Amino acid sequence: METTKTTVLHDFHCQQGANMASFGNYDMPLWYKSGTKAEHLAVIDSAGIFDTSHMAVVTVKGNGARALLQYALTKDIDSCIGINKTPLTEGRCVYGLFLDNDGLVIDDAIVYCLGDESYMVVVNAGMGGDIAVHLKALAGSGAVVIEDLTDRVGKMDIQGPNSAKVLKKIVKDPKSLFEKLMYFSFKGGFGSCISSSTVELKDGTKVLVSRTGYTGEFGFELFVEIGALVPLWNQILEAGKEFSVIPCGLAARDSLRAGAVLPLSHQDIGHWPFANTPWSFALADRDEAGNFTKDFHGAKALLKSTWTRHTLAFAGFDPRKIGAEEANYVADSEGRKIGKILTCTTDMAIGRVDGEILSIAGNKELKVKGLCCGFVLLDVARQPGETVFLTDGKRKIEVEIRADVRPQRTARAPIGTMVD
Amino acid sequence: MKELSELIFVDGLRYTEDHEWVTTNGDTLRVGITDYAQDQMGDVVFVEAPEVGTELNKGDEFGTIESVKAVSELFLPVSGKIVAVNEDLDDAPELVNEDPYKNWLVEIKPSDPSELEGLLTVEAYKELLKG
Repeated sequence: METTKTTVLHDFHCQQGANMASFGNYDMPLWYKSGTKAEHLAVIDSAGIFDTSHMAVVTVKGNGARALLQYALTKDIDSCIGINKTPLTEGRCVYGLFLDNDGLVIDDAIVYCLGDESYMVVVNAGMGGDIAVHLKALAGSGAVVIEDLTDRVGKMDIQGPNSAKVLKKIVKDPKSLFEKLMYFSFKGGFGSCISSSTVELKDGTKVLVSRTGYTGEFGFELFVEIGALVPLWNQILEAGKEFSVIPCGLAARDSLRAGAVLPLSHQDIGHWPFANTPWSFALADRDEAGNFTKDFHGAKALLKSTWTRHTLAFAGFDPRKIGAEEANYVADSEGRKIGKILTCTTDMAIGRVDGEILSIAGNKELKVKGLCCGFVLLDVARQPGETVFLTDGKRKIEVEIRADVRPQRTARAPIGTMVD
Repeated sequence: MKELSELIFVDGLRYTEDHEWVTTNGDTLRVGITDYAQDQMGDVVFVEAPEVGTELNKGDEFGTIESVKAVSELFLPVSGKIVAVNEDLDDAPELVNEDPYKNWLVEIKPSDPSELEGLLTVEAYKELLKG
């Protein structure tokens, strides 16, 4: 087995007494001393920061780069932005998947358009090499240059409603940064990932600021050259003090993203056909006949797929969980096994009042204990509102199939309302 | 994660290999989890306790403790009858993290009080954690 890797923030995590664990072959913080609950709630109430430099960046540049990504990615990059489905242009980014020839998921990704024939692809920890090889194979002998920047990029996220207020304190020109910085857009660049806009910190560090994240809350993903990450992290912690910004670990990231109904690659999506999921928005649109509006690698297999299983989000009625271990399963009311558990965690910001799920966001009076939530892969279809049971053979908890889980998320909040 | 030197131990309690502690409270015993256990688990979000009156044998599972990380089974350190459960934990399970030695989980009327002597002393428990 490969030795476990570390990020440049590893010393910080250890000095802070974080509870560490291996994730994607990186030794990463699960939670810090404040604990997962405080970290989860910080992102709902104010802001939290995450070391995400275990994620991998691959650049795709040169003549044919766009055509390659248009074929490799499930999303139609010529028709994906806004309600008018305009093309992906510089300063915008888009979420999609890379499938293999059989329509099975290799990884999910955010693709950033840095400029004409210049793209940055952000994939999961340890996947940079695989995705670079996959793209090179699809590119053939063309002029496209694909480079895996694994462990050469510094990346951190700041997430939560006060994120812009913190960032504003350390960037040179916050007004131009935040102007029209809508959800899934970015400004600036770093290292070899340069766009026509520039974002600099007050100390001159060049940064790419992306209005994206993995919590369902308002915030940013920040990319810098690897040597600039620790200083950036420390500046944000310092600037964030007045907002009680705290570092957050992978456990809070997991509970926040599950409540926001976002999949974890290789757990909720993976080496099985991408069909009947809550995330069909990751695919190109379909015409009336059910065909995709563009051809992409894996599309033919997906259209012919006989996959009848359903990936569905759920939320429970209290915080109790049944882990996603192999031996545990989903049962119907008769006790018959009808599927497996993909993710089961506790969103600690929500509770049920008269059956309805409410969030503490904007409702400080509300006392909640949290609700278990996550994803199941069922052999049968189930509609939102129907219930199923998670069981480990001994314990059994009832959960409700949901179209959505945590209400009042801030990810898409108009930026003008979040800066001052 | 706390270093061994940062962990809190309470002298005079008895401990188990499952990272529980036991203390006498008159003619009953109180059972909780150790500082090591709460530190490993992370934030406790739910404690599932047995019905008062349940009779169980040493080693039987008497409930579960759920943290953000996982669901952990709780095993009875001595045989006996459950005479009380800590109802404070219903509304505030995080008390287990805040003070694991004050916030007990269940109270047992032991059927064989001598079983207590078979549990680990604080020194033996520290040795166990040193590995």
